[in-house]
Amino acid sequence: MAIPYFPGCTLKTKATGLDSSTRATLAALGVELAELPDWTCCGTVFPLAQDNYMGMVAAARILINASKEDDGRLVTVCSFCYNVLKRVNYAIKNNEETRTKLTQYLEEEYAGETKLVHPLEVLRDDVGFEALQGKVNDKVKGLKVACYYGCMLSRPASEMQFDDEPENPTIMEDLVGAMGAEPVDFKYKTKCCGSYQVMKTYDLVVKRVREILEGATASGAQAIITSCPLCQFNLDWIQEKIAEEDSSFAKIPVLYFTQLLGAALDVPAEELGLDKHYVDPKALLKG
Amino acid sequence: MAMDDLTSKIRDISEQNPNLCMQCGTCSASCTGIGAMEQLPRQVMRLLQLGKDKALESSSIWMCTTCLTCTARCPRGIDIARVMEALRVINLRQGNEVLVLEDIPLELLTEVPQMALTSGFRKLSA
Repeated sequence: MAIPYFPGCTLKTKATGLDSSTRATLAALGVELAELPDWTCCGTVFPLAQDNYMGMVAAARILINASKEDDGRLVTVCSFCYNVLKRVNYAIKNNEETRTKLTQYLEEEYAGETKLVHPLEVLRDDVGFEALQGKVNDKVKGLKVACYYGCMLSRPASEMQFDDEPENPTIMEDLVGAMGAEPVDFKYKTKCCGSYQVMKTYDLVVKRVREILEGATASGAQAIITSCPLCQFNLDWIQEKIAEEDSSFAKIPVLYFTQLLGAALDVPAEELGLDKHYVDPKALLKG
Repeated sequence: MAMDDLTSKIRDISEQNPNLCMQCGTCSASCTGIGAMEQLPRQVMRLLQLGKDKALESSSIWMCTTCLTCTARCPRGIDIARVMEALRVINLRQGNEVLVLEDIPLELLTEVPQMALTSGFRKLSA
């Protein structure tokens, strides 16, 4: 049975490779996703002002629509979507005033029943990392990979309940190991890349991005993986800008974890969507 | 804004108590915005303890990426990101905004993922 799936706005435009590689990779492992009908943008950021209910309406509507499907779960892969949907669901479940306001406004009965899951969790819990080991080819074998979680996947830990530690999650490293690749010890893995500040405080984001990229290279990584289209953009686009000004700068491809896994599962190139990257990752995945 | 007004507004919007802050500076050392801030997060918290309006005018509140590192690490359990959001929200509700479409370089505007626009405008525009 297919699990309801919320792609989110960026996966239909700038990050189509994340959408197609997520679907194809999970399908190759026997997990079908069914796109939620009539979805809208999730709102991208969780409102941190407790009186900002309007900032939660879109996410609440998506969660309610998902609860009407049979499965009970909702899969989403973009780190921002995952964060805002999970936090709004937590607020609906645990805060009576939030629940009442949102459900009355939307004229629906809902108490947080939808279980939001990330594809990393599907891979760990439904497919199983051990089972995965027997299914991969040699394309990424021995490849040194820096797993970059950024800020949105795991914080705040009490609400996200994504991995055990807000500052030291290991689920992506476990996945990389199961693919036959080698996760490197990467101290910047939960550092923020600067996020939306790229549009306002560009120089700050360049600094943060450069620390993360150089940290990955210093750890011996040949590639960085992420599940966030904004991290991917900042790390990928900005390093081209850094390299234009500093010819000694060592570039490093920034992939979605689903693209790396897809390569290891012989997912066709057109579904991996490697053509939109600024730093070309294709040579790495030839195997 | 009188001291009581600012303090109570911040408490209402953020549901956090800045007076719990013991000025250890863990938030400042952890902040993504480091190097671009007028006042470090610790100093913004101190301004709030003193009821100073300067906290509202600090450009630091607009450098926040809501990455929640400060919140995760605060030994006093203060959700500092919520305090920063409250300071932004008070400004935004008066029409004081810092991200304006026309100011974003075209080269960037055509390349950024949609989520950057939505999140950036939600946090930084009125």
